[in-house]
Amino acid sequence: MPVEIITYLVYLAISIALTIWVAHTLHKNGRVFLVDVFHGNEPLADSVNHLLVVGFYLINLGYVSLALKLGYNLASAQEGIEALSVKVGMVLLVLGGMHFFNLFIFSRMRRRATLRNAPPPVVPDAFTAVREA
Amino acid sequence: MSSLTVLYDPHCGLCRRVHAWLEEQPKLVPLVLVPVKSEEARNRFPHLDHEPTLNDLTVISDQGAVYFGPKAWLMVLWALCRYREWSYRLASPELLPTTRRVVSLISQHRYQISRGVGWSK
Repeated sequence: MPVEIITYLVYLAISIALTIWVAHTLHKNGRVFLVDVFHGNEPLADSVNHLLVVGFYLINLGYVSLALKLGYNLASAQEGIEALSVKVGMVLLVLGGMHFFNLFIFSRMRRRATLRNAPPPVVPDAFTAVREA
Repeated sequence: MSSLTVLYDPHCGLCRRVHAWLEEQPKLVPLVLVPVKSEEARNRFPHLDHEPTLNDLTVISDQGAVYFGPKAWLMVLWALCRYREWSYRLASPELLPTTRRVVSLISQHRYQISRGVGWSK
């Protein structure tokens, strides 16, 4: 088998495995956040979690697939490993970026939810009697 | 806290503008807007000294907590979905003095500002 084909196959195997692993981590650990954000509404949290992971898969696998093409011939196994390393490195960076983006979304959702029940920013100047209208 | 009563000055164009804007904003705490020194204001808060309410914005919670001037503005922001975060930011020790200064300045010159931008009528 030519070196290029082997490189492509190894690239796909590593990238897909990495994507699945990161998505799985995100899915497993993001759930706790989301359950908290949605005040214990577990079906809603699971649904949002699932939707986020689907988006994560689509973007990452899309990138993996677009970045597959090498564009030049490989003369030796050494060049194959080097090319593979560059490709996998890029996939890792995209995965890392996406992962932090997801964390950012989680934390922002959580902050919004905490704000909803947060106390007033200032203490009152005085108190007065209120007659109901 | 289940509602906030805002005592506003109906004779100032700027206040009426803000009133209209507030009505449209999505709220976390309902706001009841009552004109200052009106019958309704006196009925709701019989023991409150209504004289100072003409000088600066006053906000009173349904539990009777009175917020005056800059604090009243911060409470109004706090009641709004989109600006609650800002109310904390502006109330932070670093920004509170500036907030106070800016709000007092606007309050003192509200009639001039209203005239200046043509909101008097």
